[in-house]
Amino acid sequence: MARNKYDVDEILEDKFDVNQLKRLAGYLKPHRKQMTVVLFLMLSASALGMLIPRFVMQVMDVCIPAGDKKGIWVYAGLTMAIALYTCVSLRIKIMLMTRVGQDVIHDLRYDIFYHLQELPFSYYDERPHGKIQVRVVNYVNNLSDLLSNGIINTVTDLCNLFFILFFMLSINVRLTLICLCGLPVLSVLVIFIKKRQRRAWQIQSNKQSNLNAYIAESINGIRVTQAFVREKENSGIFNRLSDGYRQAWMRAVRFNFLMGPSVDIISTVTTAFIYVLGISWMDHAGSGITIGVLVAFTAYISRFWQPINTLASFYNSLLTAISYLERIFETIDHPVLVKDKEGAKEMPPIYGKVEFKDVTFSYEDGIEILKKINFYAEKGQSVAIVGPTGAGKTTIVNLISRFYNVDSGEILIDGINIEDVTIHSLRSQMGVMMQDSFIFSGTIMDNIRYGNKTVTDEEVIEAAKTVCAHDFIMEMENGYYTEVNERGSRLSAGQRQLISFARALLADPKILILDEATSSIDTETEILLQEGLNRLLVGRTSFIIAHRLSTIKNADFIMYVDKGGIREKGSHEELLAKKGEYYHLYMSQYDFLKKPQDAKQSREG
Amino acid sequence: MTAVKWVFSFLKKYRKRMAAGLLMTTGIAMLTIVNPYISGVIVDDVIGGGQRQLLPVMIACLIGVTLVRGLLRFSSQIMFESSSQGVLYSMRDTVYRKLLQEDFNFYNRNRTGDLMSRQTGDMEAIRHFISYVIYAVYENILLLAFALTMIFTVNVKLALCMLVVLPFTALTTFRQSKRVRPAFFRIRQQFSSLNTFVQENISGNRVVKAFAKEDFEIEKFNKENDGYRDAELNASATWKKYVPIFEFLSNILTVVLMLYGGYMVIDGEITIGNMVTVNGYLWMLTMPLRMAGWWVNDIHRFTTSAEKIYKTYSEEPDIKKPCRPVERKHFNGDVEFKDVSYRAENTDIISNISFRVKAGQTVGIIGSTGSGKSTIMNLLGRFYDTTTGSVFVDGVNVRDLDLYELRDNIGIAMQDVFLFSDTIEGNIAYGRPNCSFEEVKKAAKMADANLFIQNMPEGYDTIVGERGVGLSGGQKQRISLARALVKDPAILILDDTTSAVDMETESYIQDQLKKIEKDCTIFIIAYRISSIKDADMILVMDKGRIVECGTHDELVAAEGYYAEAFRHQYGDFKKGGEEYGQK
Repeated sequence: MARNKYDVDEILEDKFDVNQLKRLAGYLKPHRKQMTVVLFLMLSASALGMLIPRFVMQVMDVCIPAGDKKGIWVYAGLTMAIALYTCVSLRIKIMLMTRVGQDVIHDLRYDIFYHLQELPFSYYDERPHGKIQVRVVNYVNNLSDLLSNGIINTVTDLCNLFFILFFMLSINVRLTLICLCGLPVLSVLVIFIKKRQRRAWQIQSNKQSNLNAYIAESINGIRVTQAFVREKENSGIFNRLSDGYRQAWMRAVRFNFLMGPSVDIISTVTTAFIYVLGISWMDHAGSGITIGVLVAFTAYISRFWQPINTLASFYNSLLTAISYLERIFETIDHPVLVKDKEGAKEMPPIYGKVEFKDVTFSYEDGIEILKKINFYAEKGQSVAIVGPTGAGKTTIVNLISRFYNVDSGEILIDGINIEDVTIHSLRSQMGVMMQDSFIFSGTIMDNIRYGNKTVTDEEVIEAAKTVCAHDFIMEMENGYYTEVNERGSRLSAGQRQLISFARALLADPKILILDEATSSIDTETEILLQEGLNRLLVGRTSFIIAHRLSTIKNADFIMYVDKGGIREKGSHEELLAKKGEYYHLYMSQYDFLKKPQDAKQSREG
Repeated sequence: MTAVKWVFSFLKKYRKRMAAGLLMTTGIAMLTIVNPYISGVIVDDVIGGGQRQLLPVMIACLIGVTLVRGLLRFSSQIMFESSSQGVLYSMRDTVYRKLLQEDFNFYNRNRTGDLMSRQTGDMEAIRHFISYVIYAVYENILLLAFALTMIFTVNVKLALCMLVVLPFTALTTFRQSKRVRPAFFRIRQQFSSLNTFVQENISGNRVVKAFAKEDFEIEKFNKENDGYRDAELNASATWKKYVPIFEFLSNILTVVLMLYGGYMVIDGEITIGNMVTVNGYLWMLTMPLRMAGWWVNDIHRFTTSAEKIYKTYSEEPDIKKPCRPVERKHFNGDVEFKDVSYRAENTDIISNISFRVKAGQTVGIIGSTGSGKSTIMNLLGRFYDTTTGSVFVDGVNVRDLDLYELRDNIGIAMQDVFLFSDTIEGNIAYGRPNCSFEEVKKAAKMADANLFIQNMPEGYDTIVGERGVGLSGGQKQRISLARALVKDPAILILDDTTSAVDMETESYIQDQLKKIEKDCTIFIIAYRISSIKDADMILVMDKGRIVECGTHDELVAAEGYYAEAFRHQYGDFKKGGEEYGQK
């Protein structure tokens, strides 16, 4: 059952986890070479860039007074050369760093998607799908700027900072120390707002997730919304979420906006101190501070604070990114419970024997859905499972595909415990048709071919004919190449079931599971379908869940499931003769043929 | 460019705020010019010139200016940010409302992931533009203009000479714009495509696992993921050519100053002091120039996204509300179809259908898969408009009725049960959010859902997953039925609603439906004869036509499709009855 809905925030981590940054750094590792090249280029370019003002000075102070036109050309030429070098290195930087940034994003997205493929149904069932999606697409994208520009700029700035610091120290140590006094003040400020800022961004990412989930659900459920005239209410809910997002954004961004002016003010105040103290020291002989020293020093102060300003904005984007990063890693770290055992073998080609031995299963601790189930199906047998809603019929067939692990007992296929083989080798030999037939957007051809890409067009058409889907497909404007999609009203529910039926057949399964696979198919089609199916089922073990008893009468044996156990087992005739639950169920379908007063039942719920 | 105009129409409401922000930005630009001047005075006059008495004043000015500037910066950023958030808020609202109004055809054309991209990624580009690009460009243009004016006052010839970079700048801007636009379009396209793929993979996760097609999905994902990266790299390959050119041009300014300025000083046309002054203003020219390439990018990112959003939502829905709807709050439930045909994608879905139902009657509809049964109901709720012919409810053409009132009087339990990730109570009360818990419970009882709901650990407060995952098919159908019943509608449509419930439950539900006190017209679409046998009228559909029509007994006697289906489903009833005896 679901745990989270669109307007429920996800749980927030409290502490700032440096490991997340370390992990991100791991993604950057393969790109060390490119980053080193770019770093070298940017450092050299910025070092050379510092020369340009000096050249201008030289021109004004030396060449012009001397009327040295040649000297001017020399400096102009040098400046031009530096300009060209900067231009080229910037170009290389853009090329390489976009590549690095996009590669990291690409790899991160791959990892989260890959992991999602391994996560069980329950992961998807527990939260709105929009919340999963926003992590794979939007959150990952949000890191792009940080990765392609942020990191290199930061390292360049840090280097510049040390560069300048070195210059400043070489001019005067005392003045430098005053200048550095600004840093602790800045640190205190950063520490002071960090916790709130981080919290604010976490909340923001949460609100974004909520909004996204609601948009996704609104689009998918649009038919219901329109049919139930819920437009106004939904608009209201949407605007509430949208407003929540806006407010969270404004709150978070406020902290970021504090950073720039704060650095500015701190730097100005320290500069003022330097002026005041510097001048007063200058007036006392023997302090070592002369006019020249002070003038030279003040020229560097602004250069010192400039990189700190960019570092502060990098820090801002880092905090923002972390709120996304922790969500991404949370998904990647979500434990996979159903996974291949250490040293799991490939399932050999399935012969078709299926056995349940004392199988007990629960979705949640303490609530057992199945209790010590035992049954055995021979190769090629068809097994029907009937029973009231919620009895555990679907659970039984889901266990055969190992969508869940059993609590105790074992499930054997051809005598092999399914937990000892790889999941892929097991499932790829089974065909499952579920209650909900999901259609991917694409052509009908692609949809039928989904389970087995290697089949030819002819085989697809053959399968469609077998399940009686060929005729209606041919009536569509592009036949098998008609584009359909998930929500499309192009296909009726029955048609969708037939298409997923064909899809299941083409996978050429040795074990076939039909979970209410034909509930929306009309009788006439079903008769035809049954004929095709009878041919196909030869040699395949099949499990059928259906409410239409005509569908299951011919099964080799029928299991009546109720309250987590198999209550009756036997052929149709045997069970009828037994006059138990199945008999009761079977006869109830004829009740309506009797006169209404006979059929009257009392049931209070 | 209507798309941009459209975006700006949302900005109108925040005119004052934007103007205030821009005014503050003007202040910031001015103060930015003042600060170096003060520092200059301190260095030249106080330190160099020894005018110590000026120091306190200058220091006060310096700190004062910075404080004011910081304050202005912070408040102007808040102004722009809140304007942009306001624009986004109303834009999201508009777009969302539009989404809710769009008809089924629109949803057949547009994939979920595409629509979501409009609401997320594309909106982000607009936020960035309004909250940052506008003021950044404005501020730098101010600095540029100021610096140019100052240089012009120093020397016209020198200023004109500096302007030689202008044609190159214009040319580069023009070429970058031309090249970068398609690149951004491709990014947006690829983003949409990636979004759609991921969305379907998540929705279809059960199928993926059942077929063990994880590898295949990952392979397909790689294509999308690579495609997105390639689109980004392709764009950067374009702008990497132009952005450095701007950087280069900005440095050229210095070269021009050195050479031309130097010559002019030596030739005595200007003084060295003039040159120093111009050099002091130079950074105000180079900085905007250096950034220009990035802004060209940002602006095009904005326009492509704006166009994407605008294009999706400027489509007019086919189903239009009547200008002056016939007022009617409550319906009796008479329904008439008169020569109704419906065509879609060049295929006849429904041809020439006519029938008439009186309020309170029950109509059964049976027929092969894809024969148009659900379409009839979609025409009744006006989810599609008929191609020819008309549908009447209470004698009024549905096209003349208020759409919402019409639908408000119809309760549908759809074939495809879609439940929202909400509590069960919330799901049942979906059509009447304000109804009492008693009403929810009553409807659930009628749909035979109360028992299993109460047996759940959290009862009616259980949150069901999207599409109702975690519930069995029969449970979902019953919740969906309860949802339709809560509306207490004049017309109730059960589209294949009991296909996944057992017989006993079905007959119980049917008894309950008969007990509805109000005259409620009921349409039952089903494959099981048992579901429709007692209907006042049964329509048998085949390939979009009504091929048989009558009551159960009449149709059995007619020996047609219906009788055939009846025999197949219950042919062995007699045998069963004889052999095993009836209870």
